[in-house]
Amino acid sequence: MRELFPAKQVIGFATSLVLTVIALLVYFIDMSFQVGMIILLITAFTQAGLQLVVFMHAGESSDSDSIYLNTFYGVFIALAIVFGSLLAMVWGY
Amino acid sequence: MNIDHSKPLEYSTETNDMNIVGFWVFIGAEIALFATLFGAYFILEGRTGGGPSAGHLFVISTLMIQTFVLLTSSFTIGLAVNAMRLGRKGATIGLFLITLILGLGFVGVEIYEFYEYVHEGLNLQTSAFSAALFTLLGTHGAHVSFGLFWGVAIIIQLVKRGFTPATANKTFIFSLYWHFLDVVWIFIFSFVYLKGMM
Repeated sequence: MRELFPAKQVIGFATSLVLTVIALLVYFIDMSFQVGMIILLITAFTQAGLQLVVFMHAGESSDSDSIYLNTFYGVFIALAIVFGSLLAMVWGY
Repeated sequence: MNIDHSKPLEYSTETNDMNIVGFWVFIGAEIALFATLFGAYFILEGRTGGGPSAGHLFVISTLMIQTFVLLTSSFTIGLAVNAMRLGRKGATIGLFLITLILGLGFVGVEIYEFYEYVHEGLNLQTSAFSAALFTLLGTHGAHVSFGLFWGVAIIIQLVKRGFTPATANKTFIFSLYWHFLDVVWIFIFSFVYLKGMM
């Protein structure tokens, strides 16, 4: 039975729960918008990285270089789309 | 077909390796897809046009249930892949089933939530905010719903054929898909719900 719950994944799950609770503090504790956004950015990106490495086994295949390159390129495109749109249409530059 | 026994079954053939890399390319495209929907949402979230706003609509209890259920399902599909590598067919199928039941629970709560939104006077045509919100949440929910059917199809193959390079590969790729949906949810949870309620 024990072998079905490898420590790496159990710790990964526990960490993701802790990160979720920290993110929820933004709602339950009164804080400024900026501080809240910084907390959310840190918890969200940490959790995404955790999923990628612990659960999606991104590093273990012989093609891990291509997998990481492809994923980081996807993330770059995502950030360019989101922040580019905000820059042009909301922040007013 | 060349089977390399030194590797886990899901990586054991050339085709399997390429399937996995190919699926990562698909995930890269999905990242871009969700980025456009997030971008649209961030631009339009303030344009409520007299309809309900984010702060007015979002409820912490359903959000916490959805997040906990989806995080747990991501954990159980990870355990299913681990069980598969140990060659434990019963445990793999059981964990896979638990994952899908949790996914069904997630979709159920989301449908309830949409029902409540409509009740509050928010539908797809209410405002720019509502259109962007429903499109983003709906695209994620549709992905989870599709995953339920896909998962059932893979479970049937596991029951019928057991672990072969093909079924192991499909199970592993499904787990990638499911973890990815969990990652997308983390961003929805943080930058749609919590940001909206802050």
